[in-house]
Amino acid sequence: MAIYVLRKLVFFLGAIFIASVAIFLLIRGAGGNVAAVVLGKGATPEAINALAHSYGLDRPLFVQYFDWVGNMLSGDLGRSFRTNERVADLVTARLSVSIPLALSGLILGLIIAIPVGTYAARNVGTPSGAILALVSQIGVAVPVFWAGILLSLLFGVRLGWLPTGGWTEWSVSPWGAIRSLVLPVLSLGLIMAAVLIRYVRSAVLDVMNQDYLRTARAVGMTRTEALLKVGLRNASLPLVTIVGLQIAELIGGTVIIETVFSLPGLSRMMLANVAAREVIVVQSTVMLIIIFVIGVNLLVDLLYGILDPRVRSTR
Amino acid sequence: MTQTNPGRANALEVRNLVVHNSALTAVRGLDFTLPAGGRMGLVGESGSGKTLTALSLMGLLPMGWQANGSVLHDGVDLVTQSDKALSSRRGRTISMVFQDPLSSLDPVRRIGFQVSSVIRRHTQASQQEADRQTLELFRQMSLPRPEQLMRAYPHEISGGQRQRIMIAMALACYPQLIIADEPTTALDVTVQKQVLRLLNNAVQERGCALMMITHDLPIIAAMCDMVAVMYAGRIVEIGPVAEVFRTPRHHYTKGLLDSQPTMDNIALDGSSRLASIPGMVPPLQSLPKGCAFHPRCAAATEKCRTTIPTLEGDQRRAACWHPLGAEAAADAEVKAQ
Amino acid sequence: MMTLSKSTPSAAPADGPATSGVPISPPARKRRRRLPRNASLIIGLVLTAIFLTVALVSLFYLPSNPNIPVIRNRLLPAGTPGHWLGTDVLGRDIIAQLMVGARTSILVGAGGATLSLLLGTIAGLAAAASGKITDEAISRGADIMLSIPGMVTALVLAATMGSGALTTILALTAFFTPSFTRVIRSAAMGVLNEDFITAAKLYGRGKIFVLARHVLPNIAGVMIVQFTLYFAAGILTEAGLSYLGVGVHRPSISWGLMLNEAQQQVGVSSPLAIWPGLAIVLMVLGLNLLGDGLRDVLDPKLARRAS
Repeated sequence: MAIYVLRKLVFFLGAIFIASVAIFLLIRGAGGNVAAVVLGKGATPEAINALAHSYGLDRPLFVQYFDWVGNMLSGDLGRSFRTNERVADLVTARLSVSIPLALSGLILGLIIAIPVGTYAARNVGTPSGAILALVSQIGVAVPVFWAGILLSLLFGVRLGWLPTGGWTEWSVSPWGAIRSLVLPVLSLGLIMAAVLIRYVRSAVLDVMNQDYLRTARAVGMTRTEALLKVGLRNASLPLVTIVGLQIAELIGGTVIIETVFSLPGLSRMMLANVAAREVIVVQSTVMLIIIFVIGVNLLVDLLYGILDPRVRSTR
Repeated sequence: MTQTNPGRANALEVRNLVVHNSALTAVRGLDFTLPAGGRMGLVGESGSGKTLTALSLMGLLPMGWQANGSVLHDGVDLVTQSDKALSSRRGRTISMVFQDPLSSLDPVRRIGFQVSSVIRRHTQASQQEADRQTLELFRQMSLPRPEQLMRAYPHEISGGQRQRIMIAMALACYPQLIIADEPTTALDVTVQKQVLRLLNNAVQERGCALMMITHDLPIIAAMCDMVAVMYAGRIVEIGPVAEVFRTPRHHYTKGLLDSQPTMDNIALDGSSRLASIPGMVPPLQSLPKGCAFHPRCAAATEKCRTTIPTLEGDQRRAACWHPLGAEAAADAEVKAQ
Repeated sequence: MMTLSKSTPSAAPADGPATSGVPISPPARKRRRRLPRNASLIIGLVLTAIFLTVALVSLFYLPSNPNIPVIRNRLLPAGTPGHWLGTDVLGRDIIAQLMVGARTSILVGAGGATLSLLLGTIAGLAAAASGKITDEAISRGADIMLSIPGMVTALVLAATMGSGALTTILALTAFFTPSFTRVIRSAAMGVLNEDFITAAKLYGRGKIFVLARHVLPNIAGVMIVQFTLYFAAGILTEAGLSYLGVGVHRPSISWGLMLNEAQQQVGVSSPLAIWPGLAIVLMVLGLNLLGDGLRDVLDPKLARRAS
């Protein structure tokens, strides 16, 4: 197990390093002269040089890279060109929206997908199984933002039960914050569920055809008992992996849903900064997101190691 | 307890067992009796319905398959029992050893837990007591270092050891009947014998009945006192092992026996005359009319093509219109008419 | 069944060899699953064909110009003669916009899927056929790229290159290539482990020859299926990016862009938010069904593993 953990840790650090180089080169390299981009077409060469100098952009690229990494390690994510605000402050303020949204969306998705997917697997070939397969097939085809629009049309505009957008700070009114998260979480969760149902279904189906499930019944479990006690434990292995892979998907969904419901989350901030060509802010935020995703995948791998004894001893 | 009496009831009484799904009928009317403590071999090629027969006895048929007829065991008809009622018998009065021990054990649970939980499920034993019994079973199965084995996972031990664990699991609650479905096919030749010997000893010690499913005739000759030969979902011949193997009545049985390599019919110079049965096992959805074996049978006549022969006889039964070794008797019968 | 049926033409064959030609069919459980899959192939084909036709027609004929505002036609309801699905807040015909949107979806989706198929096949084959170090480098590289959310890649590209159809295609390519690489690699590994490859190598065939003549034809089915599924994913992603305003812009029209414009009028006219969404769902559903159906036809072995 120790070797397994070590290997995963090395991969984690290596992945972050490579991703940081890639992001840095992509943004600095493909973006051309950052200062010129930021100041726009009408800027004088003097103004560009002055801005470049004040942000250290006239130094060699690798110096800038190490400077950036060093600052990030010490918690300094840089400053905005326009407002000179600290990126770290900008980001933390937004996380109180984005993290509850993404996490609740994922959890809702799992809460729906695990029982429904298991049910679908047990009813393969029956009409109810076929209907479920079709529903999840359609659900996969629904863009998350359209689900959001439709839900806000129904519950917000037509019925007037919930806000169609906007945000109430947790500190102002926790209940208000929750109310403004209900529809976003519902849209995100339903679409996640549609994707996850298919994975749960095939994972459970796979386990149901395994010999050890038959053995469990052969020594005295009922069909249901065997599925719940032996099957789900084994089906959780591929599911853990899938959830890890879905994290990237989840973040994409969160970005869009924040826009649909005008939530002031991290991704809305990113979008605004992309539009404003705030290169440093984009670069640091992107890096944070990537560290988060790779970190979640590290956790997933470690969890897998705990759940599956075979992984521990062979890899 | 009644089942430990010498004069106890049969371990299994199968009457007109049919196993089918919506499209196919794989087992087409089986009749046999397995006495308490008796040991019966079930032979046949793949696709003859052996495994489905075994699974139907356990109530473990795959989804979509269904059994009809009656299977009397321990005073109840297994066919009519609910999954719940059957589950309380499985592992207790009737248990099964499967073909592939690696895929048959839960990969994420420790071996000791898997065996002891069977004991705890069917008896009042405490965890401690169940663990003690598990260790004892491991010793009986001649498993090395049983204490360490308790904490091992299935992938950490050898195939032969895994199958011995499976046998220990099957034996754990002293069942009246053990069904072994090709228990050594997935094992190395070198450990097959050892596993079979352990199974044989354990079954004899406990006086439990054994149903051995295999296509390996020598195994049946060594371990069983009765044999049933299956072809295309039916028993074509059944009787005491020695008699059936020495003087087969059904042409299919004879074909099977002739196609077994022995020291006599294998010649090292390449002039072997190992017989084979012409043709292939017919697919279930297009079985020939009459005797299912007739397209491959040299002795087939018009009658064989139209009418299914029934199992005739008492102890020794064969489903054939022209049984081997009976030509003379048959001729006499025709003349008498 | 056993007697009486002598006269039927399908009566029992007279001899052994006749039966031996009949392949033993798969168990009934599998056969039952096959039926809805074939249905999905047909539905998928029909839906996809409809959208392809619409996109093609849009090149030659549009009911009216989808970009020129006609203020007197503002927000006409569905069913208005000449504007059967109505008009938007600037009086532009919905049908015309949907038709151009189909063109964009197909262009961007297929573009991204094609480019990533190309790159992914090259990288996947290289990983499968070369040594452990190359394989490890490519596989780990793909793992790392996979952990970068596609939306983030798209945003970064939009930030540096400016947004548009081309940027979107590139973002999709960056997003899909690592998954393609993994799928192609594992499919190719499967083929390379087959005995006939060993035979070809023993025969003295070079690596490139083996890959081109033996591996590629054998993974073509996988490639087609994956292409279809990523085509669909590409359309979804494009719609999302355009909705966010970092995808295509007018005068190009995208269903996602239409939804973006419609949402600002949600209180005014909700049908505007229905049609483009419906178009996305039907097109993506069609391609996904087509992919699933094709998988069943082209590669039954893989169907169970990959899904």
